[in-house]
Amino acid sequence: MHLTIAKVDQTLFAGDVASVTLPGSSGELTVLPHHAPLITALKAGDITVRLPAQAGSERGESQKFEIERGLLEVNSQGATVLL
Amino acid sequence: MAALKQIKQKIRATDKTRQVTRAMEAVSAVKMRKAQGAALTSRPYARAALSILKRVSASFDVKNHPLVAPRSVKNTCVFLITSDKGLAGNLNSGVLRAMNNALRERSLTPSNTTFITIGRRGNEYVTRRGFSVLEHHENHDDKVRSDQMHSVINTIVSRYTEGAFDAVFVVYMNFLSTFEQRPTIRQMLPLSVEELEHVVGDIRPAKGMFAEVSAGDARANAPYILEPNPEAVFATLLPDLLSIQAYHALLEAKASEHSARMVAMKSASDKAGERVREFTLEFNKARQAVITREVSEITGGIEAMAQ
Repeated sequence: MHLTIAKVDQTLFAGDVASVTLPGSSGELTVLPHHAPLITALKAGDITVRLPAQAGSERGESQKFEIERGLLEVNSQGATVLL
Repeated sequence: MAALKQIKQKIRATDKTRQVTRAMEAVSAVKMRKAQGAALTSRPYARAALSILKRVSASFDVKNHPLVAPRSVKNTCVFLITSDKGLAGNLNSGVLRAMNNALRERSLTPSNTTFITIGRRGNEYVTRRGFSVLEHHENHDDKVRSDQMHSVINTIVSRYTEGAFDAVFVVYMNFLSTFEQRPTIRQMLPLSVEELEHVVGDIRPAKGMFAEVSAGDARANAPYILEPNPEAVFATLLPDLLSIQAYHALLEAKASEHSARMVAMKSASDKAGERVREFTLEFNKARQAVITREVSEITGGIEAMAQ
């Protein structure tokens, strides 16, 4: 699944991920590939991005981003987080 | 000879000027390319924000939101973007002239208009004319500073909500190509969807290296889930939409400033080169005149002695 995390003046993350966990306004949610199209507001918290597993390891590495607020859009092409 | 020495000094001075203007031209060219490149990074963001806006506006009426609904205009705020420094041809005068026309058309006077300015030139201009300036930022960085942008947006949104003004316009130099910039006036608030689409469509210049064939949005029109509800999503989206507008205007202004300066410096260098050639010609003529005079003096002397 392709994920883009962007501020208006810079792109913080762009690439393929296995899953992403976000602080949704009505509770934490995790988006996996082939998620239904969704738009939701995000509240302050951490976004955890799990990268696809490399050959030889069971789980991919993960990255964390701290956010104040934001918006998440998920569609068939992937997910976009606007901060 | 005094005249010869003077001309020689002039040649040297003009040549030095040309070196300086050439260097400034090269620097501006690089900065211009950077500013254009920065427009690339905001593109996916703007696209996603617009697509969200479309989904939201399909499912509830955004027209009644306080920041969208038009109200009768008593006071106006103008967000004016100019450069801090000159030597950029008619960049700032072009922006200020367009702004003046707009002020006259809408009969805006110091009594019903406040300004938010970025860039010293514009700030000095409006202060001299008796307008009050709500907020001023300098514009000497080569990059667009996001803290400036957020501060401006926060001021605009809070004052607009309080009712301090009923319409907000942004005035800046739009970058069309290296040789063509056009002063542009756009409405920021009340927010209009058409205006935003315009901005996003304009994000890349029409011509040149960053021009792009507009890619059609081929996304399937799948029904979206809007969490928690369309209104909340729209409220979160609003500041993003405004920052897209502001960021884009700042970026355009930057690219315009650098390209205008590059062109101005190029013509300055050309002119200096031309002057150096003229002076050299003059110098050669003067030198030849001195030689001719000396030779005729000598031959005259010989003639006199022979007699």
